[in-house]
Amino acid sequence: MYEVTLSNVDYSYSDHRVLQGITFTAEAGDFVCLLGPSGCGKSTLLRLLAGLSFPSSGDITLDGKRITGPGLDRGVVFQDYSLFPWMTAGQNIVLTLEQAFPGKNKEEYRQAAADYLEMVGLAGAYGKLPGLLSGGMRQRAAIARAFAINAPVLLMDEPFGALDAITRARLQDLLLQLWQQREGERKTVFFVTHDVEEAILLANRIIVLGLNPGTVKGIFEVDLPRPRVRQELYKTEAFAALRDRLVTVLHENILSELDGGQTVRSDGEGI
Amino acid sequence: MKKIANISNLLFIALLTALFWPSTGRQIPWHILLVAVVIKAVVQIRQATSKNNEARQGAVDVSAIIFAALLAWYLATTRFVLLDTMLFPQPEAVLALFVTELPTMLKGLVNSLILLVSGYLLALAIALPLGLLVGWRARLFHAINPFTKVLGPIPPIVYIPYAIALLPTFRAASIFVIFIGAFWPIFINTVHGVFNIPKGLLDSARVLNLKERTLLARVILPGAMPSICTGATLALVLAFILLAAAELIGANSGIGWYVKNFADYADYQRVIVGIIFISIVVMTITWGTERLERHLLRWRN
Ligand SMILES: Nc1ncnc2c1ncn2[C@@H]1O[C@H](COP(=O)(O)OP(=O)(O)O)[C@@H](O)[C@H]1O
Ligand SMILES: [Mg+2]
Repeated sequence: MYEVTLSNVDYSYSDHRVLQGITFTAEAGDFVCLLGPSGCGKSTLLRLLAGLSFPSSGDITLDGKRITGPGLDRGVVFQDYSLFPWMTAGQNIVLTLEQAFPGKNKEEYRQAAADYLEMVGLAGAYGKLPGLLSGGMRQRAAIARAFAINAPVLLMDEPFGALDAITRARLQDLLLQLWQQREGERKTVFFVTHDVEEAILLANRIIVLGLNPGTVKGIFEVDLPRPRVRQELYKTEAFAALRDRLVTVLHENILSELDGGQTVRSDGEGI
Repeated sequence: MKKIANISNLLFIALLTALFWPSTGRQIPWHILLVAVVIKAVVQIRQATSKNNEARQGAVDVSAIIFAALLAWYLATTRFVLLDTMLFPQPEAVLALFVTELPTMLKGLVNSLILLVSGYLLALAIALPLGLLVGWRARLFHAINPFTKVLGPIPPIVYIPYAIALLPTFRAASIFVIFIGAFWPIFINTVHGVFNIPKGLLDSARVLNLKERTLLARVILPGAMPSICTGATLALVLAFILLAAAELIGANSGIGWYVKNFADYADYQRVIVGIIFISIVVMTITWGTERLERHLLRWRN
């Protein structure tokens, strides 16, 4: 529900420039996908939004206010490590609730956590340790946790990147369903992915980032109607056209990167 | 069904045969018999209840080794008297003496455990929170690390004579030495445990905006727990060694003193009785701490 503005954001790590001149605005209730090849700085950008690190120069504002650190106005879901492995799924959500809504009694927290787990289809998982849940179930619980704090902004860093295709599709649907639930109070979502089709399926707006340094290569409005049903969506011309444009921009970037004499390092960085 | 002729059964029967072998003027060695039968019973019960094949086989093999050792000990000292009887007492005599000495040893054990537990818990109570804090706050770490590097590797046993001279009572000196010995492994491993918490988990904690106390208690402590357990186990072993060493040097009671005292009188029967008793105590404590560790780390699959 917050408007999020980035203006001229640079980020350097030691003397390595990771992000340069990132400028865009996400309207309140926008679903923004950050799309780009590995290493282009997507996670770095998300960490800046989360308040886990700070721009070297430039401004990021949430609802007009500069980010000064992490805050419960932003729910965060990482690819892994979102849940504490020593707490059950329920306890993980209770801890979050205690932070976001202090001063309630234990039973209220328990009940609320159980409700959020039920909301993401994990009714029986309250007492289960994350290690005993499948990857998909863990991410469901992480989504439940991110929604539990009822934050106006949701930040997700390749949350479905480690899941198989079917689980991934189910979770995409779940996410969209939760996001759309209350029209007018929609969270502003930043969703990192390197999957073009995932970006088109989810986003209102796709920001394509390029490599070395990470810059905005293009901003694409996705005005495909919702709800978006995969089988029908994939057949539409609008979808194909948008996908082609996105792929072209992504490839342009990768090809110029390769022609620029940059070789892939042996540790695989830059692939 | 399992085959009956396994090595444990064979050795058990061999042992019984040796024990019951008729010979004039000798009583049946009831204590050995009892020990053997109890061990056999425990193994049978495990066989019946354990679902894990490897654990079952393990119990059988361990019992086989014990039976073999008892048999060899019995044959070499009692039936054929191959060894010097003063240095190598007969098992039946040792086991009988174990029973009569048990009350005395238990009293000594209480004295020893008071030293051990005080020193160890004191170390735990100080080293663990300090380790969490030092691991978590970079500035503290950089301030303290040089001292850790210098003081940590000093073998704590060298403090014993000085501690005895420095402190008013033997009890205080022992507790101090055990404290020092247990402190460093717990402290160092706690700090490393904090360092080894995956960065992603710390990020997850930071986005929740936890208060530092909550963060330390709910995230840093459990996250460092695997390493803390390693350190605490190491510290316990060291504490035992230091306890024994301190008692050998300066005590007038306690279980380490018991062994040393009777060694001075060349009463090796009681020395062996004491050693067996100590090993049973250590085994029991280890069993307890292993269960505790498994409970604390049950989240690690
Ligand atoms: N803390 C850091 N330490 C080392 N390198 C970093 C750090 N933060 C960012 N980088 C570098 O920034 C670049 C972008 O990383 P990242 O944001 O993870 O990319 P992406 O998520 O798009 O794959 C990489 O080259 C990475 O090595
Ligand atoms: Mg990334």
